[in-house]
Amino acid sequence: MSAILLVAIPLLVAFLSILFKKISPYLLLGVTLFNIVLLLVLSDGFVVIGGFNQPMGINLLLDMYSRLGLLLINVLVFVIAILNLKKYEKYSSILLIAVAGLNGLILTNDLFNLFVFLEISGIAAYLITTSNKKPVGTFHYLVLGVVGSSLFLFGVIILYSMFGTLNMVGMIQEIQATNNYKELILPFILMFIGLGVEAKLLPFNSWAKGVLGKSNTLSGPMIAGVYAGAMGFVLGRLITNLFMFEGTLLTVVIVILAVGIVMGDAMAFASNKVREILLFSSIAQASIVALLFVNGVVIWAVYLIIANALSKTVMFLVINKATKDVGSDNVDKLKGLFSNNVVVGVAFTLVTLSVMGLPLLVGFVVKLNFLTVLAANNQIWLIAVILVAAIVEGIYFVRLLVKLWYPDGNEIDVKYNVSFKVVFVIIALALLSFGTYSTPLKELDNSVDTVMEVVDNG
Amino acid sequence: MKNIFGLLISLLLGVFIILALDSSVSFPEFGSAVISDRVSDNYLDEDNIEDVGSANIVTAIVVGYRGFDTLGEVTVLFVSALGVALVLGSSKKQARMDLKFKPNFMLRIGSKVLFGIILMTSIYIIFHGHLTPGGGFPGGAIIASAILLMYLADDKFRSNVKGFKILEGVAGSLFVVIGLLGLVVASYFLQNFLPVGTVGNLLSAGIIPIIYVLIGLKVGSEISGIVDNFLTEEESL
Amino acid sequence: MIQYAAIILFVFGLYGLFTNKNVIKMIVSLNIMELGLNIFIISIGFVYDGIAPIITSTSGSGLLYVDPLPQALVLTAIVIGVGTTALALAVAKSIHNKYNTLDLGELEDIL
Repeated sequence: MSAILLVAIPLLVAFLSILFKKISPYLLLGVTLFNIVLLLVLSDGFVVIGGFNQPMGINLLLDMYSRLGLLLINVLVFVIAILNLKKYEKYSSILLIAVAGLNGLILTNDLFNLFVFLEISGIAAYLITTSNKKPVGTFHYLVLGVVGSSLFLFGVIILYSMFGTLNMVGMIQEIQATNNYKELILPFILMFIGLGVEAKLLPFNSWAKGVLGKSNTLSGPMIAGVYAGAMGFVLGRLITNLFMFEGTLLTVVIVILAVGIVMGDAMAFASNKVREILLFSSIAQASIVALLFVNGVVIWAVYLIIANALSKTVMFLVINKATKDVGSDNVDKLKGLFSNNVVVGVAFTLVTLSVMGLPLLVGFVVKLNFLTVLAANNQIWLIAVILVAAIVEGIYFVRLLVKLWYPDGNEIDVKYNVSFKVVFVIIALALLSFGTYSTPLKELDNSVDTVMEVVDNG
Repeated sequence: MKNIFGLLISLLLGVFIILALDSSVSFPEFGSAVISDRVSDNYLDEDNIEDVGSANIVTAIVVGYRGFDTLGEVTVLFVSALGVALVLGSSKKQARMDLKFKPNFMLRIGSKVLFGIILMTSIYIIFHGHLTPGGGFPGGAIIASAILLMYLADDKFRSNVKGFKILEGVAGSLFVVIGLLGLVVASYFLQNFLPVGTVGNLLSAGIIPIIYVLIGLKVGSEISGIVDNFLTEEESL
Repeated sequence: MIQYAAIILFVFGLYGLFTNKNVIKMIVSLNIMELGLNIFIISIGFVYDGIAPIITSTSGSGLLYVDPLPQALVLTAIVIGVGTTALALAVAKSIHNKYNTLDLGELEDIL
């Protein structure tokens, strides 16, 4: 039982699924279940591929950090697949490839392998967005994604020609040996921009509006929940271990991320289409996550990624189903959505309050803890930016919730299946329970990411 | 306005890259790369070459040392072909697109002769991937170009799409199955479990020629499928 | 010299993406950008007086080979480029089927 099965089995089933088109949705469910079970029994460590030890071959790293990311992805894909089985069965092969690609992205310990899996996941994402039936949005996403991956590859190649290895652990050891940060600025900027395109960081997130603003119950949760979560984990791994920004580059990156938070929340405030509000909030949250990683707050950033991925999945599922039934996502057309769907409304409210960071929900615990750590590091400006953004966020989310609860004369008729309601209730309860009983969260600390440990001990 | 902005950004990026690389100490000058500092030193080591058994060291890297990347690359092509079929295909019956140019009799017959020659070249290139430059990817692309020639030379030609899909799925699964066999038989995914032979023979290098044949078939059938998707449309009744 | 040319090609492709509005021209610019990148990758493996990394019957030990790893990386990068170009062209055809134009500038008003 080796961690490589997390990538090899979805690939094998994907290749076979085009021959057995009828049962491919069930294959998808089976594979994600198998992955979840496998994750609970695997032990930590490096997985060598082909029998060639590093630095000659490629290896994968499974530690607590990757385990959390992998669990998040496989569980969410399982949930989204169950809810969308009937309508989107043509997309099951693509979802299998997406699972394989995202699993490999989080597991890998080799930079060129990261590029290959970035492309695999990227192409799967472009194909998932074709379900929106908006080819211009897909084309925009495709062009930006390819530019981003090319910039990332450019950075990796410059690093290879400087240090002679593609293995992440080996590369970090070589970088520590030479200790000349100035010449690393170029490749690190290129790689950061490359990943920033996919992770929705400013200013390369113009694809988000076209893709998520017109999304449906398959593409919305996948791109805003699963992909955002996976990219957050990858970005975190690279920022804390490889990039380790310092000097002027650190200031530039922090400023760009802070501007991203402010602009994301400002644009969400100014919009009156619910999907746009949600996607701009996602952009702001992605910048907050990146900011936390840059400041070395690893474990609370990981919890924030998980909480956001779960919340955004629920929010997009609720809103996209309603938009499909009503025909528009304008806030005024959706007024009173929850007056007939009380269970869904309560779940949506709890999830939104968690994103805002209200007490009793896990979002509050996460926010409190990372603000405390930032205060301990004397990052007063950052705390101010995050608090201001949180206030703006609070205002537009409360405004949205009020409109969605009170019909105010609007006739609306949206029905949710039992399976949808079950999923919403489970996720909302999870956020609620971890918010009130948050001791398990404190058990893990920044050492979940073991790459630096391996680098130091050889 | 947007043009000037784009020009400025591109120029700035280009100048920034060139200046940063010129002034960098670790980035070697063109042509003076020191191989012994890089991991390629291990690949070129004689003992390692005999262990892997492939005379073409680039093939040894692509299929042997970094075979996982090749699996990813094959997946990229697979999902692209799947995507093209999803975007352009439909469940209704499809027929060749009606184009303005109509090929004549000489072209139709002459191309069939060429088809055979091109196919032979591609098979040679695929089978000798571990001895000469080439291998599965160029060979598969050449197979697809032969199919494209048939499509362009005859406006009634349609390849056996169903057969190609089955070939694609089977070839891809066999690649992963060989990797899993390595895991079961020899304890690492994609490990070579066949005898390696002597460097330079046609039958050498263990699983490398087998994988290259599978890759060639897969790439050929995938790109042929893409060509078919572009040149057909729904049958108008 | 060749590395400067590769970087200039890369920047050309990027500039083409900024300024073109026709979908097919954008795809061509993407390809030019990827071409520049691939040439750059190969160029970092070059060693003066090195020979191709293939063992032949006339080669002994102590020969100077060029770096084989960038060549393997470029193989992968080219194929990935082909995959994304095929998908981009399919999306372009789908845009044409839906809106009957290939010019994104015209479509900005509609969307």
